[in-house]
Amino acid sequence: MSVNIKDYDTNRFIAKLAYIGLVSPLSVLLTLIFSPLLGENLINKQIKVGSENPEIIKEFTLKPHLVGALRVDVKAFIPTNRWVTYEIQLLDEQGNLLGSTIKEAWRESGTWQEDGERGTWSEQDLQGGMDIKVNEERKVTLVLNVLGYGARNQEISDLITFRVNVQNGVIDTRHLWPGLFGSLILSLLGILSVPNIGKRVITKTVEDSDPTARETVGGANKLVRVDVNVLSDETTFLKQSMVTLVINNSYGEQIYKTSEWMDMNFKKTESGYVEEAKGKVQYFFLLNERNNYGFHVNVTPDAPVDKTTLKVTEGVRTRGQVKVVEISTN
Amino acid sequence: MLSRVFSLLAIMIAAFAIYDGFRQKSAFILGQEKQPNYSPRYGTNLSGGYNSDRVWIYNSTTRTSYGEFQGGGPGAGK
Repeated sequence: MSVNIKDYDTNRFIAKLAYIGLVSPLSVLLTLIFSPLLGENLINKQIKVGSENPEIIKEFTLKPHLVGALRVDVKAFIPTNRWVTYEIQLLDEQGNLLGSTIKEAWRESGTWQEDGERGTWSEQDLQGGMDIKVNEERKVTLVLNVLGYGARNQEISDLITFRVNVQNGVIDTRHLWPGLFGSLILSLLGILSVPNIGKRVITKTVEDSDPTARETVGGANKLVRVDVNVLSDETTFLKQSMVTLVINNSYGEQIYKTSEWMDMNFKKTESGYVEEAKGKVQYFFLLNERNNYGFHVNVTPDAPVDKTTLKVTEGVRTRGQVKVVEISTN
Repeated sequence: MLSRVFSLLAIMIAAFAIYDGFRQKSAFILGQEKQPNYSPRYGTNLSGGYNSDRVWIYNSTTRTSYGEFQGGGPGAGK
């Protein structure tokens, strides 16, 4: 029987779907950034409208479109401490009302005084607007009407200045924000949970330094991950421990052996004494022949080691390039 | 498995948000009796709704309560 061992770096097992997932919030962000360029400006002008004296803004022929809508934005300009209720109307060719929306706009200001300090405040809500779509081609006339204008309970009959902005083919960006954050969070969770992909076949914990277990694993396209986690006690003095991993075939013959230094992370008390130390090593294998393999771990120096866990998972995916040891037996 | 579910959900949410934005689902649809997806912009609310003959009927809480207006549309009792 001959054993052929190669080790190399590979991208073959990267979880591609997780990265496609990560592209999705980016596409929402790009839509948000470029959406203002999509609209076609039809009207941008100031008009003066008096109470109950509707002003025709323009006549349009609206066509059904798969993308976007006609956006009417209206902003009232009024002095402070006044309110205006205005209506955006859509009329047909005969002057019949096809639909309308109403905005209750206001502007207020005042002074405040607190702990000897004083200042002024000013609040306003003057912007209104509607998006319009049609199911069939229609001629509509856009009309702006003032339903009421006043200061407190007193009606005012002055003309009011409005800025009217009409664009065609505008997309609605409001749902893109929750879409952006929702897909960002989920795609990050997708990336974070890549190490959970695969089937755990061995979990062996011993209160010593030499766990060993045997299981049927591998296959030509199944990446196998071996994790070794070590917990050692307060007598740990070396910054590194030596971890040896041996893989045996179904006859108990050794087919692979590797030893490497593992960094120990110390947990210290406030006074600086070592409480415990933890270390971990990870290996990736391609065991081309699916078979029963034995995994043996040994940690040295073994005296301070309290607990060693050996975990073997198959069918795993990676987040990036990893070093793989490919073992072929025949 | 979990990673796939998260990633697929992320893709679905993004796709839905973009589709929804481009289709303008929450716009006012002229002449359509029901407007279930209408979502007002800047607090600019519909003044009423269509009756079964597609005639716009103001509802009483908005327009009729302002100024000299006497209520509008058929059935408003002129």
